[in-house]
Amino acid sequence: MSGSKRSDSALTMRPPPMTAESGLIISTSFSVSGFGKRWTHCHQLANYLARYASANENDPERTSTLLSTFFNELIEAIYRNHARRGLIQITFERRHDKVCVKAEVPVDEESRRFYERTVELAQHPELMRWYRERLEREISEEDAGALGIVELTVVYGAQIAIEHIQRTDVEGSRSLHLWVEFPFAELDEV
Amino acid sequence: MSVSVVPDSHVPPSSSSDGASWRSSVSFNIRVSEQEQQVSFTGMLRPFVAEHMKAIRSTLETAARNATGELQLDFKRLKYMNSVAFLEINRFIRWVVGVRPGLKIVLIISSVIPWAIRKFQVIAEIYPNVSVVVYDKSLYPIQQVIEDEDFINVLRTQEKIVWEVERKIISRHGLRPGMRVADIACGLGDFVLRVQKEFNPEYIIGVDHSRAFLRHAQSHAKSLGIENIEYQYGDAAALLLPDDSFDFVTCRLALQVFHMPEQMVQELYRICRPGGRVYITNEMMSCVTGYPDQALIRHGYDRFLELSRMVGMDFDIGVRTMKILKNAGLEEIKGDLIGIDNMNSDRAYFAKVVESWIVSSGDVARSAEADPKVHEHIAAGLRAHVEAILGDGGYASWPIYAGSGRKPVRP
Ligand SMILES: C[S@@+](CC[C@H](N)C(=O)[O-])C[C@H]1O[C@@H](n2cnc3c(N)ncnc32)[C@H](O)[C@@H]1O
Repeated sequence: MSGSKRSDSALTMRPPPMTAESGLIISTSFSVSGFGKRWTHCHQLANYLARYASANENDPERTSTLLSTFFNELIEAIYRNHARRGLIQITFERRHDKVCVKAEVPVDEESRRFYERTVELAQHPELMRWYRERLEREISEEDAGALGIVELTVVYGAQIAIEHIQRTDVEGSRSLHLWVEFPFAELDEV
Repeated sequence: MSVSVVPDSHVPPSSSSDGASWRSSVSFNIRVSEQEQQVSFTGMLRPFVAEHMKAIRSTLETAARNATGELQLDFKRLKYMNSVAFLEINRFIRWVVGVRPGLKIVLIISSVIPWAIRKFQVIAEIYPNVSVVVYDKSLYPIQQVIEDEDFINVLRTQEKIVWEVERKIISRHGLRPGMRVADIACGLGDFVLRVQKEFNPEYIIGVDHSRAFLRHAQSHAKSLGIENIEYQYGDAAALLLPDDSFDFVTCRLALQVFHMPEQMVQELYRICRPGGRVYITNEMMSCVTGYPDQALIRHGYDRFLELSRMVGMDFDIGVRTMKILKNAGLEEIKGDLIGIDNMNSDRAYFAKVVESWIVSSGDVARSAEADPKVHEHIAAGLRAHVEAILGDGGYASWPIYAGSGRKPVRP
């Protein structure tokens, strides 16, 4: 097998050491229109942010591979579901053994419904059963769209919540806040 | 026969108008080995829609149609996969269950990829004919033996006496201040710490496949207040480090414990930059000697060597060092002897190390279910070696082969 791997992030990138166990890691803000131009933005952003958020961990590579997997699903969902205009803002915070992500996403009716439904699904009392049924049969397009985020909860134990923001900008588009709390302690011991 | 069906550059053309927008999110290799009935994935699989995995899907279907008994899907080098790709893999498995109900599917994953186990486990739970194998779970036959607390102390001692001799030769192999250094199979990380202290590298990373060792390494570095070292859980045979990224790549006393040393060296070569050097050190047990009781000592080490080979290790790989480096494609090869003996080393430390081998060889013999006599012979020989180390007028040696080569710079 040819195992050629390209660097997907700067190997030596190290932010200043984080002294506190909790606190802001990084905050980003970008326009929907630029972000929405290329699918690769999702994975590039996910890898960059994950690498940055992991730089002070004991094993930054391992943590960032895991976080990139998490962030990517969230960012892919945002890529597919947002209003035509506005700013996306994502803030990453460390709270002890969790990474908390707050994403502000400009939404229209359709994308707002998507997030509401997804978060509702993620809180399904029998989520594992629901999830397995989706794998056992052909999945509807609607469920498939939600699955990336739902998996974060059902497979990796993330917590998800939503908050509507009353503020509307000049053009009348609205935003909502999506909160995701990712665990990143030893998820994967065998 | 192995064929590379869909190399990197030949991902299926996009049906969307903006091909480039998804293309680089599916940068991976898929390889089919008909003989092994295996399909292997490498790299990243984050397609925009399942449609973009059409070629992969049809490769998988062909493999499933041709396989008899069992089909293996090897994900141990797939670093990233999104939910779209996961759903498509699941769809394929569901298809197999329908059209080839008797075919078993084995999903091979690695503990180095942190998201994989939980995700694939769900599929194995759904379909009775699917199972998950964590390929690196028992990669290293004596992993548990060496992770024992007592053994960890011995490893520290061993590292100390080896370094005292090794430090005199390592510059000759090209280690200089300001380099980017990777130590693969770094164990407790002491070598990394020493290089950090004495050679002030621009960047240094230690990779090992023992979580216990890495925890020691990390807390040791922290207790010394050293922050510029990165430690990584990884598999030397499938490193996650990028190509051509280090000036000096080391792998010390580790090729000997691995059943695929050539594969490990290929990885060392891959991560080394052109013009950089790969440096390895290896045990050469056929050359260990002592006086008096030379015959007894030799007999003990010969049995120890045989035992190592029984469990897939080769404690005499040192004698092949030059050949291994040359076969890997390295040039300007240099060799040196790290000649540890009871005159240039602390005798008590040296003796403690050999005593620990008596214990660890016993554990190996038990795990290999070897004839109890084998270990009796080993123990007798190694005890005689200990006496040679400590006794007045005794002579005892432990030679280690150090070799290095330069990765060619191609025009
Ligand atoms: C004899 S120790 C040598 C440690 C260290 N280099 C030294 O000189 O003290 C061998 C090391 O190889 C590691 N190892 C074994 N198989 C490995 C693999 N596939 N990938 C990475 N490390 C591995 C073990 O965990 C152990 O730390």
